[in-house]
Amino acid sequence: MSDIRIEKLRKEYGQTVAVNDVTITFPSGSVTCLLGPSGCGKTTLLRMIAGLEDVTSGEIYFGDQKVTDLAPSKRNIGMVFQYPVVYRGITVYENIELPLLQEKLSDQERRKRVMDVVETLGLQSSINKDITKLDNGTRQKVAVARTVARQPQIILFDEPITNVDVASKDQLKQALKDLTRMLKQTIVYVTHDQTEAMTLADQIALMKDGVVVQRDAPRSLYNQPNDVFGGWFLGNPGMNFFDLSAKTNGHGTEIQTGLFSRPLMIEGLEKDSNIKLGIRPEQVKVSGKKNDRMVQGTILRKSIVVGGQYLVTIKSCDQTFKAKVEPETGYALKDEVWFEIPLKDIIIFGPDGHRLDVKTSLA
Amino acid sequence: MENVSALQRTAGKKPWHKKLMDGFDNSNLFPYCLIIPVLLFFIIWNLIPTLWMIGMSFYNYAFTTGAPEKFNGISNLIDIMNNDTVWGNLGRTFTWVLATTGIETVLGILLAFLFWNSAKLPGRRLALTLLFTPMLIAPASVGAFFKLLYEPDFGVINYLLSLFGIAKINFLGDLKWAFPAVTLVDVWMWTPFMILITLAALGSVPKAELEAAEIDRLPWTKRLVHIIWPYGKFVLMLGILLRTIDSFKTMDLIFMLTRGGPGNTTELVAIGLYRKAFEGFTMGWSSTLAVILLFIAIAFTSVYLYILNLSNAEKE
Repeated sequence: MSDIRIEKLRKEYGQTVAVNDVTITFPSGSVTCLLGPSGCGKTTLLRMIAGLEDVTSGEIYFGDQKVTDLAPSKRNIGMVFQYPVVYRGITVYENIELPLLQEKLSDQERRKRVMDVVETLGLQSSINKDITKLDNGTRQKVAVARTVARQPQIILFDEPITNVDVASKDQLKQALKDLTRMLKQTIVYVTHDQTEAMTLADQIALMKDGVVVQRDAPRSLYNQPNDVFGGWFLGNPGMNFFDLSAKTNGHGTEIQTGLFSRPLMIEGLEKDSNIKLGIRPEQVKVSGKKNDRMVQGTILRKSIVVGGQYLVTIKSCDQTFKAKVEPETGYALKDEVWFEIPLKDIIIFGPDGHRLDVKTSLA
Repeated sequence: MENVSALQRTAGKKPWHKKLMDGFDNSNLFPYCLIIPVLLFFIIWNLIPTLWMIGMSFYNYAFTTGAPEKFNGISNLIDIMNNDTVWGNLGRTFTWVLATTGIETVLGILLAFLFWNSAKLPGRRLALTLLFTPMLIAPASVGAFFKLLYEPDFGVINYLLSLFGIAKINFLGDLKWAFPAVTLVDVWMWTPFMILITLAALGSVPKAELEAAEIDRLPWTKRLVHIIWPYGKFVLMLGILLRTIDSFKTMDLIFMLTRGGPGNTTELVAIGLYRKAFEGFTMGWSSTLAVILLFIAIAFTSVYLYILNLSNAEKE
């Protein structure tokens, strides 16, 4: 199996830059998710890897082999599309087998490959069914099975769950999760769904405006976003941001804010600047009882979210932010609450939106 | 205060055109009002003449005799069934339909595939536009135009043949050449229609399926059978049927080129009907033949509707 190396890859459509000089390596034998909002260039990047889009500039390597100008059929890749692609007029078995007929395989080997993947994806009951009689979820499973059975060196997934009905979504997601754990191929998986990315990926490459803004393990990406966009895009809801003004005096850099029980000290800032303080909603501690470390606030809204937790919108010192609290605490909260923003969980972003490597403490 | 009360007075009043619509809002009349113009058009121009024609097919009626129409039951039908000229014309018409539609379909598909695979070629749009012009010209004009091209003494085609040392051919006056010559004109005129239909059929094939087939390294025969045909077949068959029905009715083009001659080698059933009705003025007999042709056209249309229903059923 080989890794995928992308070097200064660029795609322009007229005046629009869809992929902007991206350089990234997708490690061999791992699952990398390209995650980002619609229109960020993730599908274009994937299609260029597949050879379905011409590149404007830059190079693509599979291992040591340069494939930038190779036709898709010569790249030894497999691809699962957003729309479930199945070949019509034949059964599920024949669909999976069809590309294998082009390979030099014995009948026995071909049959084994088909049956193995049928079993893995739980398609046994549909194996002799006409493909057109199946629902979208099963069709997508067939498309996945067909791709996997060929055993290409690289498998590309382009939002494979998007066009599947709700009932089949979880089932397919689980099947893909099991499959990606089993497969040894290099997998690139495009999605705009962060839950999907968090579940499946070994690494996530976060994209925005044609650029990969951060590539990291899911947990690191969530806890340590490189910029404001990462904090905002990941999480449901995303990170809370507070615009603050840092002033340097004889004791260091100090921020006068009512969000903490005492002034916030920042070590590492070179001069006075406007910064953003980020904190995830679930990291804000909220209580109905007064505490010395806590600050008073008022609840503007309270609603239950998936999992029974409460999402509360709190206003304090002219700042509004969200906090996620456990069901019992959330249920008991009245209008007046006390909250604490733990220093260990906050992230400081500079005026350009990038994370700053600074130390924080309370005066 | 005066202004406010004026506003209050006018608030309840509606302009006349809204009041008019109120009458329609609360009744089921509105949809019917919308279809009345089409319905009237259909009744006046289709239904009444058709019924009139069916009625007249049971009469012996000719303009030339001056005698009043006389009911003769199915005598016209029996006469037509025993008429060798009608059967000859019908046979020639079916050969014509088969030849023209067949050649146009094959050529149309081949050329459409060339255009389909040349999406990035410069000048593709212009070439397509030029290719479609023949079917935009009136058949009578095409007939007059080709009559000049085929002209044995000063026609361009014979001139070009003479450059290769080939002797003059009277394309439209020769028993052997007349039918192929008019077939060629129809092919020239209507192949672009089949290109258009095939391109529409190819356009209905999802791009992702073709891309998947490319990645899966499927040979083109498999792509044709499992991807292109399942999606494109209904549009293509619709095109073939439309051409079949249209070809069956061909009259003006051949009338301009050969008037059905030499002898009756290019006389199709529509030309025979025209001759009987508007040169022989035997209206009763001609109406019977027209009714027979109507039923043949209905048979074609039924096949077309059956295929359309099949398409809808498959989509569901």
